[in-house]
Amino acid sequence: MHFEYEIEGGDFSSAGKASSDIKKILKQLNIDPQIVRRIAIALYEAEVNVVAHACKGIMKVDLDAHKIKILLEDEGPGIENIERAMQEGFSTASDEVRQMGFGAGMGLPNIKRNTDEMRLTSVPGRGTTLEMTVNFSQ
Amino acid sequence: MRDRDYTHAIQIDTDKCIGCSHCMQVCPTQAIRIVNGHAGIMPERCVDCGECYRVCPARAIYVKDDGLSVIKHDAYRIALIPSVFIGQFPSEHTASEIMDAVKQIGFDEVLEVEQAVDFMKKEYALIADEIDHSIQPVISSFCPAIVRLIQVHYPSLTEQILQVKAPHDIAALYMRKSRQKAGNIFISYVTPCAAKIVAARAPVGEKVSAIDGAIDMKEVYNMVSKTLMEKKEARLSKQFANMSPDSVNWSLSGTEKQYFRGRSLAIDGMDNAIEFLDRLESGRVTGVDFLEMRACDQGCAGGILCPGNRFLTVERLEQREKKLAYLTEVNKWVKNDLMDYAEELHQVCKTDPVYPRDGLMLDEDLEKALQKMDRIKKLNSYLPGFDCGACGAPTCRSLAEDIVKEKATISHCVFVQRVMEKNYNLSPDQAFHIIEKIWGKDRLKKYQHPNGKTES
Repeated sequence: MHFEYEIEGGDFSSAGKASSDIKKILKQLNIDPQIVRRIAIALYEAEVNVVAHACKGIMKVDLDAHKIKILLEDEGPGIENIERAMQEGFSTASDEVRQMGFGAGMGLPNIKRNTDEMRLTSVPGRGTTLEMTVNFSQ
Repeated sequence: MRDRDYTHAIQIDTDKCIGCSHCMQVCPTQAIRIVNGHAGIMPERCVDCGECYRVCPARAIYVKDDGLSVIKHDAYRIALIPSVFIGQFPSEHTASEIMDAVKQIGFDEVLEVEQAVDFMKKEYALIADEIDHSIQPVISSFCPAIVRLIQVHYPSLTEQILQVKAPHDIAALYMRKSRQKAGNIFISYVTPCAAKIVAARAPVGEKVSAIDGAIDMKEVYNMVSKTLMEKKEARLSKQFANMSPDSVNWSLSGTEKQYFRGRSLAIDGMDNAIEFLDRLESGRVTGVDFLEMRACDQGCAGGILCPGNRFLTVERLEQREKKLAYLTEVNKWVKNDLMDYAEELHQVCKTDPVYPRDGLMLDEDLEKALQKMDRIKKLNSYLPGFDCGACGAPTCRSLAEDIVKEKATISHCVFVQRVMEKNYNLSPDQAFHIIEKIWGKDRLKKYQHPNGKTES
């Protein structure tokens, strides 16, 4: 099954829509509730990343009986140093974004913690691509 | 582990139900459908919050309690009353007077549940030291409708539910321990809501409840009102505080949370709870240690079986708090007999973990569930999407679900029907029959003229 969501940069008030939608679907599929929760958290963090850093992005979700694959492509500044971005507490978020309670530098590490596979690639000045997979059976 | 005990107190009397669908529209868990002209509840989804009961214009939705007949039992009969019951009456009646009037109905003893709150406060202080901080926040187990809402709709949060019994259970356990000499005892709880009845009959996290029966508060209210009206003799009044003053407010919104160390929130009302739990589940709430949640607005003062006004009840309990504070100050002590048993109660106050329910599951088999979900997605894009409810389901999405569960067909949608009629896939007679199957046989009668023509 395939789903797509468009994400608008800067639209913090709408962040969480994709996460909420996908979560509703997963809850009806007899998947371990804790796995559903991990996916919901990863999806939300990924959405917020696009909202906070990029101009716009698209989230493509594919799911089958074994796993969920999420591909997030955004158009924006990209990430200069991916290794550093993955460190807890590191963030390039603006003061404005931080004042809203985002940008604590926990987003990417949190995604890594909650997914089984995660791949982050970026072309600085163009955009970032995030791929993540969560398996339904441990 | 799964919890598959779907006992409910909310029931529908199909003789009275007029199939108006008010209940279906307000059900926060989309658990109601209209079939054959009557509302029906899906047991695996209902959480006994009672929102449907509030809106039923025909009084067809009722709460099945154990009734006052329990007072005929040959036993030492104890009534547990929550503070919100006392708050149903104007302040000119003292708590002692009201409790005495309850006793006159036929009880040997009456205890105010909130005496157990002093124990809860101590227990909360101990728990805060023991809890696993990786599982945050802890969610109060006080409101049984909230516990069931989490079981059905937020299954990943069940392990965050506090594993401690509610005050009315502690109060009942105290009575069992302290009144052993009375022999066979029977404990009735005067309930402000349906969910507490279910909690007594089919408790979550414990095998049996310490409460033997639950009585609809309205029934007790009527009898006590009569007694109080006829009463002429001198007024009874408390001479000392039998619990700490703010304990009377525990069942309302905002008191319980103050007794859990750290950052805490108080949330009341089903819609508010749902919105918050959804955020919490997606990891959007951080740094909160405790969540106090009540399904009803203003907590138990807004319970569906409370006959009075919730805001007046809250104000009266505030006045009681002041009175208890005054007595505490004058006497310089609080004498709560229940606390003599605190050690013993501590040994029995814990519950087992709470497990998720299957209310949302489309199929046990993931592969099959996925196929059904795929069909739902397709149907959903085909249906009009403005949730008119004419199909007997609350939303287009719920109709799509019912179709894949083979409980409805696509022709239940009135818009699809028009298209099918236009394309000659459905005769007007067939369409008529479908509507009758949903809304009842006589539902379309009044639109038909004796000569067979419709009114224009």
